[in-house]
Amino acid sequence: MSLAFTMVRHRFAAFAGTFVAIALGVALVAGACTLWASSRPQVPERYNSAPVLVHSPTIGKGTDGYPDYRSWTPAEARDKADQLSTVPGVTAAIPDPTFYVQELIKNKATGDPEASRTAGHAYSSAELGGYHLTAGTPPSKPGEVVLRGSTPGGTIDVLTAAGPEHWTVTGTVDGPGFYLSDAAAMEQAGGVRVIGLTGDPQTSAITGLFFTGGDRDKLEDESVTRIRWLGAQLIIAMVTLGVFVAVFVVASTCALSAAQRRREIGLLRAVGATPGQVVRLMYAETLVVAVLGGAVGVPVGALAAPLLASPLVNAGLEPAGFAVTLQPAVLAGAFLLGVVVALAGVWSSARRSSRVPALDALRDAAVERRAMTVPRWIFGLLTAAGGAALTVALPSLPPTTQTTAALFAAMLLLVAAALLAPVVIVPLVRLVTWPWRGGATGMLVREGTLTGVRRVASTAAPVLLTVGFATLLTGTIATIEQATRIDETAKLPAIEVAAPDNTPGLSEAAVAGQPGDAPLRSEMLMTIGGTTSAYQVTGKGDAKGVILSRDLTDRPKRVDVVFRDGTTATLPVTGTHDGPAELADVPRTLLREHDPQALADAVMLNGPAHVEPGMKVLTARQYVTGLVDEEGQIIDLFLLVLISLTVGYTGLAVANTLLMATAGRRTEFRALRLAGGGTGHVLRVTTGEALLAVAAGTLLGGGVAAAALLGMRRATQEELRQSVDLVIPWGQAVPVVLICALVAVVAAGAPVFTRKQSRNGGF
Amino acid sequence: MTITTLKAAVELRKVSRQYGAVTALDAVDLTIAPAAFTAIMGPSGSGKSTLLHCAAGLDRATGGDVIIDGVPLGGLSERDLTKLRRERVGFVFQSFNLIPALSAEQNVALPMRLAGRRPDPGQVKAMLAEVGLADRAKHRPSELSGGQQQRVAIARALVSRPAVLFADEPTGALDTKASRDVLRLLRLAVDRHVQTVVMVTHDPYAAAHADRVVFLADGRIADQTEGSVDAAEIAVRMTRLEQR
Ligand SMILES: Nc1ncnc2c1ncn2[C@@H]1O[C@H](COP(=O)(O)OP(=O)(O)O)[C@@H](O)[C@H]1O
Ligand SMILES: [Mg+2]
Repeated sequence: MSLAFTMVRHRFAAFAGTFVAIALGVALVAGACTLWASSRPQVPERYNSAPVLVHSPTIGKGTDGYPDYRSWTPAEARDKADQLSTVPGVTAAIPDPTFYVQELIKNKATGDPEASRTAGHAYSSAELGGYHLTAGTPPSKPGEVVLRGSTPGGTIDVLTAAGPEHWTVTGTVDGPGFYLSDAAAMEQAGGVRVIGLTGDPQTSAITGLFFTGGDRDKLEDESVTRIRWLGAQLIIAMVTLGVFVAVFVVASTCALSAAQRRREIGLLRAVGATPGQVVRLMYAETLVVAVLGGAVGVPVGALAAPLLASPLVNAGLEPAGFAVTLQPAVLAGAFLLGVVVALAGVWSSARRSSRVPALDALRDAAVERRAMTVPRWIFGLLTAAGGAALTVALPSLPPTTQTTAALFAAMLLLVAAALLAPVVIVPLVRLVTWPWRGGATGMLVREGTLTGVRRVASTAAPVLLTVGFATLLTGTIATIEQATRIDETAKLPAIEVAAPDNTPGLSEAAVAGQPGDAPLRSEMLMTIGGTTSAYQVTGKGDAKGVILSRDLTDRPKRVDVVFRDGTTATLPVTGTHDGPAELADVPRTLLREHDPQALADAVMLNGPAHVEPGMKVLTARQYVTGLVDEEGQIIDLFLLVLISLTVGYTGLAVANTLLMATAGRRTEFRALRLAGGGTGHVLRVTTGEALLAVAAGTLLGGGVAAAALLGMRRATQEELRQSVDLVIPWGQAVPVVLICALVAVVAAGAPVFTRKQSRNGGF
Repeated sequence: MTITTLKAAVELRKVSRQYGAVTALDAVDLTIAPAAFTAIMGPSGSGKSTLLHCAAGLDRATGGDVIIDGVPLGGLSERDLTKLRRERVGFVFQSFNLIPALSAEQNVALPMRLAGRRPDPGQVKAMLAEVGLADRAKHRPSELSGGQQQRVAIARALVSRPAVLFADEPTGALDTKASRDVLRLLRLAVDRHVQTVVMVTHDPYAAAHADRVVFLADGRIADQTEGSVDAAEIAVRMTRLEQR
């Protein structure tokens, strides 16, 4: 161990790449996971003063694995509340109906559409959040509201599920939301799922489902959960990529460093180091470097995480009020991961080094061994096959997993290309340098590259990774996006669409005047084949009864249902549809009656539209494009983060490999000087080689990306049965290549200038 | 029993080494007596280094047997061979004998540490003093002259009291003064510490320090001298060999 420490101290430059890669990787993982761990579900603020929340009964887990609930009807909720108010310690038992409200300013809906779904409350529930009336009087009849920041006596225009309404403000409350009289709120909401208890309830006396303390976070608003979920997706992608790139950089740095140390390792073997001792020495050296890297990375990550909180909130990837907390377990985990990653990275080169014969101590130049080894072939071909299979399967995967799958496919293909690179590099270099074979520099570059295939492969690998990754990922997503757009548009029957305008859906008033069908979206419990589960239901004007999926095998004649408002019914099954099993259609009027909160997605217009608040008229193409773009914006942000991450990391790898390579070739360059070459000459050689490596990496990475994109397009075309345009992201690929080339030239040239200060031996 | 006293330090029996079509060693029989200084001479490409590498267990013979200190190398695994080298063989190469990261004393202590033994600082110091570098213990190889580096290498090779010390042209990269120091040290090891030394050289002056000179040509033993012979005589024999 102390031997390893001495080695690391002496040859720190050779370990610098590993050190920086580990430090960065650990910082990234520590920071990202701190953000992720800090983003736990929160008890909604409006339940701050309710120590116990009683929930309507669950009816078991649905098909998605999450529990499904039925609602209490308003009458049931009141009875339950009466019963709960007799529990010892309870000050008040308050039903908490919620409903959709958005303020209209100049006939435009304002505020976050998703959060507005639960913005409306009953006045009595303000107490659950500890909110108080600060001025005016409570609302007492329909059309009266209290809210924050408005003076009593004024009026306010709002949009509810029924349509635009004009409310009188009777008071001011010191909490967020719109508070109606309890009766009016109940009318708006339909059913109730939560009854909050204030005081100090004796929980043993409560029957049924309830949550206390931190457990109340289960009642987090769905809109908040979704935002956190998005944030978590980005974090997962970043961590996956970060770890992958770190292993890649560490592995290539270690491989190069091991190649440069063949003589030293041969000497160790000659004076009595067993192969096992050589392996252990290399692991120990890497461990020292990893521990140092972790010691730097952990604090950097921990300190950077809080700085990212507000950008993430602004980008809509974390909910408002998100705060970062110190996560010791996460930091320890990141540190450990750094060590594991480093050891994994050095694994292959340690094994190779242990097989260096003692006689290598006597050979002067590090004669290049066969660049391709059997394991290299096997791993290379396996990863290539895996990546190709995943790419072809991509279009048939659910859209939510496509991004992740594309990321994995890209990683596999590029690892394959990096592993198999030496095979292609020799012919590639011959081809590219053909025109310059006559000149001295050209000849030196050409021969240097051809004899140092492994060195060139190590430099080309990170370039290949970055170029390929950027092109493949953006290209895949852009192509899929484009294809989805065409596919969705093809499905649209009407020419124009009435669509929501900054609202979560269309109100009843917005669709009432429109010529065309406006299906309502809601959720309903149905008991089919003895099991009760939640179904996504669509209220359709032409449905006479319940229409079930053809995929359901045991379709009953009549079905027991529980609506959103808690009422039950037995409805006839009148038909089947071709969609998935968890979808069902019901008569629109029936659904409206039992879910006053239901909104319509859009109206397919078959005549001129009447413009209403919270609604806009779009062409079918604009409408679908808008939907795709909404997702696209988030995906673009993801891509930007991921690609910057890769470019940053691989820039580091390119710089590191070239610094090491040039430094390791000092004797060679000294010979060149002795033969009459000046610094300019040496620089021309290093620059030429660096550019050649970048060119090789670019061609390989671009080639892999192009092949994969073509394969994916083929699969998409078969899936959609129509031709799909391939989108090549030149805008991303070209700057990436230029950055790599710049970094490479600078890094390859820098050691030429610092050469004079260094002594023989290490550097 | 007389066997122990007569036991050869190294014995080669019909040792051959092929490199593809090239026969570097051709069924060489050679017995190296203990506590003697043997020099191996021969024209360039005659197989001197190959002989040394095979005799020292650095390289495996393609035919015949090598026996070091009574142990046949034929059946040994790479691990056991490494251990044997560590315990019973010392080496000095023409150059690059030291690990650049380690100081002189750390380099000397390296074989002991690799053997899992705690180096005895007194022993390491004494060894460095013996090669005249007591005051350079903390210096790195890059801070030592070529001659000093070779002396550190000799100290490292001798510190574990090996059965044989092999040296492949140890003076090949040194000036006259430094060469003389190195040769004197090797001679001293034989005389004072009863060390067995085998040295490859092409320099008759260096070979004159030996008790026995073995001449190689085309992978075979072509000639030898016993007892102390002067440099001029050795040079004559070399010239004869080269002209054959
Ligand atoms: N690793 C090797 N591969 C192929 N041929 C070799 C190798 N090492 C030595 N030889 C050949 O074996 C012969 C003897 O070499 P060597 O023992 O190095 O000679 P010497 O040390 O006497 O100059 C020479 O012809 C040389 O070319
Ligand atoms: Mg030789």
